[in-house]
Formats: sequence, C-alpha cells, structure tokens
Amino acid sequence: MTTLLALPLLLVVLVGVLELGALRAVAYRAAAAADLATLVAVGDQDQIELARSGNLRLAADAADTARDYFARNLSATAPALAASATAIAASADIASFPTAPSFDPRTGVRYERPTVRLIALVPVKTPGFAALLMPAVTTLTIRSTSSPR
Amino acid sequence: MRGWRGDEGGMATLETTLMVVILVPLLFAILEFGWLTQRWLAQDGVALQAARYAGELGGDRPELRSYVQEQLRLVGIEPSRVIVEVEPVNVAWREPVRVSLRTDERVAIPFLFATTVAVRSTAVARGEINR
Repeated sequence: MTTLLALPLLLVVLVGVLELGALRAVAYRAAAAADLATLVAVGDQDQIELARSGNLRLAADAADTARDYFARNLSATAPALAASATAIAASADIASFPTAPSFDPRTGVRYERPTVRLIALVPVKTPGFAALLMPAVTTLTIRSTSSPR
Repeated sequence: MRGWRGDEGGMATLETTLMVVILVPLLFAILEFGWLTQRWLAQDGVALQAARYAGELGGDRPELRSYVQEQLRLVGIEPSRVIVEVEPVNVAWREPVRVSLRTDERVAIPFLFATTVAVRSTAVARGEINR
C-alpha cells in the first residue's frame, strides 16, 4: 500500500530531477557556444594596427563575428530551444571593446585587455516542468567574455 | 488471526513485485540518463576544443586527429568508437570550420527496452591561418 501511495510522489520527483538535469545540460551547451563565439571573435586582430604598433586591437567586426558564431554553435541545441538560434543570437547583447583599458557600462567591469562581451537570454523548452504545472519555457541568462593574449 | 497473517503476507508480496517491476526500471533510467548526459557533455567539450584547434591548424590534420583521440581518452571515451568529421578539410582564413563527433551508446532499462542512442556533438570555429 505504501508503494502505491508513494508512487505518484516518486514520479513527480523523478520528472523534476530529469528536467532539471536536462536544463543543466542545455545551459552548459549554451554557455559553451557563447564561450566559443567570443573566443573566435577575439582571435581575429586588426592586422594593420598589429603590424604598425604591435598592439592587440580587435577587428572592427568582432561583435558581428561573435553573434554569427554564437548562432552557429547554438544551433546544435536547437531542438531544446523555444526560439530559433538565429533569433536568440540576434537579440543577444554583444559588445566589443577593441582597445584597453575600457569600461563596460552594462556590467560595470573594467577590462585591461581588448574584450568581447556577450549576454544572451536563452529560452529552453521544459515540458517536464509544464507537466508539474510549472512554466513550459525556462529562460537562461548566459554570459561570456573573452580577451586575446 | 490466521486470515490477517495471510493478508499481510500477500500485501508484502504485491509491494515487492511492484517495487521490482516499477522502481528498478526507474532507478536504471536515472542511472542511464545521468551516464548518457555525462558522455554527451564530455564529448561536447572535446568537440569545442577540437574546433578551435582545427581553426588554428587550418583544417583536418593528423595533429587534430591525435588531439581528439587524446582528449577523448582523458574524458573516458574510447576513441575507436567515435566518428570524427571535419568540414571543410582545408579551411581558409576567417572561414568557418565544423567539427562533429558521433558515438553510438547502448542504453538498457530492465523490463522496458534496450536501444542504441546516437550522441552527437558539433562545434564551429573559424580558420585562423592566412595562407
């Protein structure tokens, strides 16, 4: 009798745990996509400035590059997302700070090197939570910054 | 008195049967799900690093294959079970390079099913060699 009574509770806990685990996995992948996007963006330097002064200065299109590669890498997680990877990348707040030192007005951080910063809201489908009368979509906030060495 | 004892014994048998038939598959489902997720994330990490390295090398090179094998071993995945694809083979400067890894993992839940799940990881980086 105890087993029969406890079974619904056990199923609720199981669904919640599995959904939370899946959400953590998607969060990890989205964060990895953001990291790779900002890394790719800072990997490309202003060649003229580098040849002239030897200083690192980000390419003029660094923010656009980060957005493009964020969308490309996020698309691997597309089935779990509640919006298209392109739309998520398009709405992401991506800022390039080509020279250093610089100050980021959004985060209040001072960067000592040229930096690309990305903040994105990633909506993830959570049907398991919906079955437990919780939101069917959970929005994750992903942050990433990269600087060249 | 004898009747009561008989009922309790029957109830205990029923509960044990339910536990074995329902709880054991549930327990294995949790274990298999966790194990599969761990594999997926570990393989994903290797794909990301490999994509960056492919960008640095300029595409699919023997060094990249060796690096992928080494990284897979480090995360506990047998490299011979992983299919590695790099597109394009030679990547131009500022062009995208895609590294895809795929493993077929066996998932078995007692009393329910046993199947093979394809675990795929893909990462896209950019060519960094100006030829």
